[in-house]
Amino acid sequence: MNKFKQAVLWIGLTLIVSLIFLSIYGAFIGAQRAKDFFNSLPLAIYWIGLTLLLMVGIFVFRRLIHVPGLLFIHAGCVLILAGSLWGSQAGLKLQKKLIEIDKIPAGQMAIFEGASENRVVLENSDQVKELPFHVRLKDFRLDYYQPEFLQVQTEQGKIWKFPVQINTEFSLGDKLGTLKVIRKFENLKLKTEQGKYVPYDDPQPGYNAALEVEIKSPDGQVTTRYAFERFPGHIHPDDKFLLSYQRVIREYISELQIIRDNQVTAEKKIEVNHPLHFGGYHFYQHSYDDRAGQYTILMVVSDTGVTLVYAGYLMLCIGVFWHFWLKHIFAAITRKSK
Amino acid sequence: MIYIAIAAYLLAFVTSMLAFIIRLFATSLLFRRIGRILYLFRRVLYLFGRVLYMFGFAFAVFAYGYRWYDVRHVPLQNLFEVFLCLGMICYPVSWFCRRVLHVGGRCSDMLIGAIVLFPAGFIFNAQPQRLPPALQSWLFVPHVAVYALSYIFMVKAAVQAALELAGRTPSHDEKLLLPEQATYRMICVGFPLLTLGLILGSWWGKLAWGDLWGWDPKELWSLASWLVYVGYFHFRYMFGKKHLRINSIWAIVGVLVIVITLLWVNLSRLFAGLHSYAT
Repeated sequence: MNKFKQAVLWIGLTLIVSLIFLSIYGAFIGAQRAKDFFNSLPLAIYWIGLTLLLMVGIFVFRRLIHVPGLLFIHAGCVLILAGSLWGSQAGLKLQKKLIEIDKIPAGQMAIFEGASENRVVLENSDQVKELPFHVRLKDFRLDYYQPEFLQVQTEQGKIWKFPVQINTEFSLGDKLGTLKVIRKFENLKLKTEQGKYVPYDDPQPGYNAALEVEIKSPDGQVTTRYAFERFPGHIHPDDKFLLSYQRVIREYISELQIIRDNQVTAEKKIEVNHPLHFGGYHFYQHSYDDRAGQYTILMVVSDTGVTLVYAGYLMLCIGVFWHFWLKHIFAAITRKSK
Repeated sequence: MIYIAIAAYLLAFVTSMLAFIIRLFATSLLFRRIGRILYLFRRVLYLFGRVLYMFGFAFAVFAYGYRWYDVRHVPLQNLFEVFLCLGMICYPVSWFCRRVLHVGGRCSDMLIGAIVLFPAGFIFNAQPQRLPPALQSWLFVPHVAVYALSYIFMVKAAVQAALELAGRTPSHDEKLLLPEQATYRMICVGFPLLTLGLILGSWWGKLAWGDLWGWDPKELWSLASWLVYVGYFHFRYMFGKKHLRINSIWAIVGVLVIVITLLWVNLSRLFAGLHSYAT
């Protein structure tokens, strides 16, 4: 092995070891600071250096060209690094300067139900930029796992968990009596009727999910109580039980429409893991109005460089499996058949 | 069921170790006179160890299957479920490595099985949980499963590396690879899985949170573990068999980083991040 090749290998090994230590350092400082650190100028130089070294390695080492698995692995790494650099904040700034493409790197947009929006608040800044199209929120809703549960706890700490079934009676034992759920409310409010407070389900926006529970003591006395999702353990001074209404969110769903020139050009129901891809951006379900469910918050991320990274991933995968597994499996099969 | 599986793995390990010790001493003058009896006793212990190992595996499969039935999704959500899975796959991996890859270490595999099942049985919270929206992805199972499988191969690689450092070689009649070669073969099998796990995680991150790479502590530790094996391959390519002990040290360091990735990152408050739910 000539000296140049040796030098390339030594530099490569040094860069690998230094990246191990940098990764460990990054793990200790938290995700946000690590992101800033790995996007800083010295690290940008490191990434470019690593990419160039990989490219030099491919040209210098004949073995890398002649062994397809190794070529795919190293070329895949080059594509991953190149795609990441191209899609990074610095990469997007460079594109703006060189080829006058001005894309939003990443940001958030809040959209009310029935409204459309094209303003995006940029990540880690107060700056607002506009998309070349509008996004309309047709509907936002939460989907819950079934069954939902009513949790009952005595003062002594004994706990029961019953699935919510309207008018089904559950026993709490001979000494405590029975209970059953009478009604479910999505947004419980109170109104006065003939001087009495009467609960009702308000169709107006708002979250105050609750259960109306009828408790029958062993002596036949019936009381009505309310179990709230938001106020678990809500109790009257003379109550024997703490009641909680428990639901687990299964999915956050935003029904979106893309509007361009007053025309709906695309439509998608987005959920976590199912973003919308349109006009060079990905739209993700990020957050929502947890008080009234009136608006959704979307994360908007540029798709620049993503295809290149995916191509790199594919090449890397093919490379490692071919080089370490498939090549040997085929060789063994061929040997056996001979 | 987990407790029975742990007990079976441990007993299998003890009996196999006993058989191994008898074999070591069987050649001494004192024992040569009763060699035939010792040989039979060793064979019985050896077979008993294997049966116990299979028995432990069967119980681990039952435990995992029951958990699956109970939670109604593939149980790989938290550390309890992941370690139960690791305890279950020890046996088939061990069998595959011995039969197909000619890599020994069945005795240590029994101990690894008991060690990984121990926290599942005694430490981790086994309360069933429903999948949060982020985990409801088709990438959830392959991402965690390939990592679990790769970790077992890498642990086996580290055991072989430790044998290399200890200067141990397998007996000739077993037709097994020498420890350094076995380490390399194990890493060659585990590395593509480790790579696939990393890539699937990144792809999933893009679909769920919008970032291919979130610089989360778990992601960075898993990158570090992947890079240790990348370093191993480059070092081995550079020096070949000149520094067998250093090759072995790379493999052992790799597993130490994996243990940190798998456990410390999830259990320590020092590393709060996207993967904290997996405790």
